[in-house]
Amino acid sequence: MAVNTRIPGQVGRLGDLIGSVRRAGQTSRFVGVLALLVVMFGFFAVTEGTFLSSGNINQLLTSMAIIFLVSIGMTFVMLSEGFDLSVGATVAFTGIAFGQLFDAAGLTLVPAALCAVAAGTAVGILNGVLIGRSGLSFLVVTLGTSVLIQGVLNLWSEAKTISVTSPTLDTLAFGKLFGIPIPVWIMALVYAGSLYVLRKTYFGRDVYAVGGNADAARLSGIKVVRTIVAVYVIAAFLAALAGILQVARVGAASPLVGATLVFDAAAAVLLGGTSLAGGIGGVTGTMVGVLFLGVLQNGLSVSGVESYWQQVVTGIILIIVVAADRAQREGWSSIGIPLHRRSRRTHDKEPAS
Amino acid sequence: MSTVPAPEPSPTPTPTDTRSAPAEVVFAASGLHKSYGGIHALQGASIEIRRGEVHGLLGENGSGKSTLLKIVSGQVQPTKGHLALDGLRVAFPDTHSALTAGIVTINQETSLVPDLSVTENVLLGRRLVRRRGGVDWKATHRRAREILERLQLDLDPHRQVWRLRPDQQQMVEIARAVSMDARILILDEPTSSLTDDEVEAVLRVVRQLSEEDVATIFVSHRMKEVFSLVHSVTVLRDGKSVGAGAVEEFDERRLVELMVGKELETPTASEKRHELRGRSVLRLRGMSVAGRLEGVDLDVAAGEIVGLAGLVGAGRSELLSAAFGVEPHATGTVEVDGVAIEQTGPVEAMRRGLAYVPSDRKLLGLVLGMGVKENLVLARNASIARWRTVRSRAEAEQAGALISELGVTATDPSAPVATLSGGNQQKVLFGKWLSTRPKVLLLDEPTRGVDVGAKAEIYRLLTRSREAGLSILISSSETSELLLLCDRVLVMFQGRIVASLAEDAATEARITHLATGGD
Repeated sequence: MAVNTRIPGQVGRLGDLIGSVRRAGQTSRFVGVLALLVVMFGFFAVTEGTFLSSGNINQLLTSMAIIFLVSIGMTFVMLSEGFDLSVGATVAFTGIAFGQLFDAAGLTLVPAALCAVAAGTAVGILNGVLIGRSGLSFLVVTLGTSVLIQGVLNLWSEAKTISVTSPTLDTLAFGKLFGIPIPVWIMALVYAGSLYVLRKTYFGRDVYAVGGNADAARLSGIKVVRTIVAVYVIAAFLAALAGILQVARVGAASPLVGATLVFDAAAAVLLGGTSLAGGIGGVTGTMVGVLFLGVLQNGLSVSGVESYWQQVVTGIILIIVVAADRAQREGWSSIGIPLHRRSRRTHDKEPAS
Repeated sequence: MSTVPAPEPSPTPTPTDTRSAPAEVVFAASGLHKSYGGIHALQGASIEIRRGEVHGLLGENGSGKSTLLKIVSGQVQPTKGHLALDGLRVAFPDTHSALTAGIVTINQETSLVPDLSVTENVLLGRRLVRRRGGVDWKATHRRAREILERLQLDLDPHRQVWRLRPDQQQMVEIARAVSMDARILILDEPTSSLTDDEVEAVLRVVRQLSEEDVATIFVSHRMKEVFSLVHSVTVLRDGKSVGAGAVEEFDERRLVELMVGKELETPTASEKRHELRGRSVLRLRGMSVAGRLEGVDLDVAAGEIVGLAGLVGAGRSELLSAAFGVEPHATGTVEVDGVAIEQTGPVEAMRRGLAYVPSDRKLLGLVLGMGVKENLVLARNASIARWRTVRSRAEAEQAGALISELGVTATDPSAPVATLSGGNQQKVLFGKWLSTRPKVLLLDEPTRGVDVGAKAEIYRLLTRSREAGLSILISSSETSELLLLCDRVLVMFQGRIVASLAEDAATEARITHLATGGD
């Protein structure tokens, strides 16, 4: 049938306005967390004089870089309705590989770093092929590779920390460009790049389509396997970059760095409104989630509060956010709070055409 | 009810006919009404079950069979009417009370636990023989074996259920019902997914139960089974009982007429294999899927709409998905414009001009969380290099044109498809495929779950597509829809095309007759 390609003229101003309001509604998944972030930021700014000092803000931002890189990779994976338990091990693995190649094997800095990043990224290829092509469960596969990689790096490093120092690495971790720390530049670049990929390329759209409904995507001719392999490769690549940055910050490669990273990253992504069910969310929300965790940790430590409180607060907020999201979509009674019974019933109905 | 069986024995009983022995009514439902909102699912349905009889419950899709069975098994409550057990009025406020009264339902989907043994499934949750805080497995297996032997079933009680054939699994369910001391067994299309041999095995068990005075309400669309098994029937149409009585009082033709409410015409000459209108665009040869589709040949000409009629499970869906190359383990050749498609899979099928609208739009058709616009161009843009930047403006134009062309009511093309009504979602799904400029449309239940207005628009769209020269193959459970749209209707039964009816020879009654195994 001939589909004419003229522009529909009568959408008009009102349509545009309604559209922009609707779109705002779609991005509102992290608005609650953003509001909390602003309140928390204001609170620390008022109560602690040192909080707003440029030194502290720079410290806050640079300390976020590693978790940020890992979280962005995790966002790609979760958007495709997956999960990657191996990112923490990949960070540690890349660091140890870097340390061993640079220190023991005698490679120069850049080749060592490139080889280490390639090795880390290979973990993603393994994950992606096993999950996408062989159709194995992502939890089982990434748990398996996580344990496997951790074992390999423990053997390789003999479970010891490897000292890695170089002026170039110091610049990478602590240098500034136009007054802004280099790790912050890296974060900005990765954020802009991932936003572009997800929102402006056909690949990005595939990620949302595969996560939203993999069967529909497949029937529409989208290469689902390739998309799934790609998101795990992206996650591993960003984790590998984080591994190099970690070594640069600490001046050493430790086999232990990855342990809690995966949970922090998952918390940041979920706080940012990306759904575990896939297809919904994005990297802007993840940035808000990472900032939330960063400000909380930094603010509490500036206030002299025991740092473990950060974990307690994060856990509570995470549960509240997930519950509130569900309540907003399906009514309060869906989470066991018998309010607004009526509103739930209206939600169940499909709108009339 | 138009006819009620006479209480006295029939005047000329054949010596072997045990059916004519009258038995008292053990269960009766009378004057049942049930409304959901403004929809009347039942409006005066009645059924009477006698002790030990096999009672066929017949009716087309939507005639109210499931609602009636749900009331009988305590899953829903009638708005009006009452139930009587042994002549006493009863109410089943929940499924448990129906079970206690001895009414056990076996649904189409099995409710077995695949990893447990036959014994554990037969005695699930109850009746394990306990001893000193543990389970006495020897005694438990013995108890299960007793039940299996009573039904003359040769099943190993130790075997895990998932290792059994589908018919054996059905029997385990029946054995479970027997272990609950069922007096009335409800079998809702127990044979729809079984092969002929397997069906016979299940029917034998039902007969066995009948001899032990367990009554069965048997729902089936296959007339052959009905006539070989049941003693009496009740026919529902539009929520009412339109006929009931001993099965001898009916013939197949009469039953189909009662079900569809129209008279059955005698087959005419034009029913023979219809000549193709012009050259064949879609040519299917030997399409097979093990156990579900058996060597189907089919041609669709340019500008022709061909309908696929048949019961659920007759192989219609498998045929369409096999043609699109997405049915696992399908064999056969698919040709478009005389060229065979060598590789299977959606990408190749699309490239060659096929478009496939699956039956479950939420499960297989649309990405509900994505915008209307993105869904509309999903298939069309699937062949563009993935690292390319989305051409937003061109895309908005395409989507806008499709939206107005299809008459989709969407205030904002970026709003998630989930916010649209069912009819509009279906139009978006159509638009997604029309935008790929296909030669052949494969449609599986294209109007399921959409309202009357949207249905009319979809029909209009299909007619226009036909005029534009597309070849269209539609599978539908709604016979009236096929009669309205199609140039030819192919009737499928148990994985085969059993008849090809030209427009003038196709009637609802004729199609129903053929789809239920008649000839």
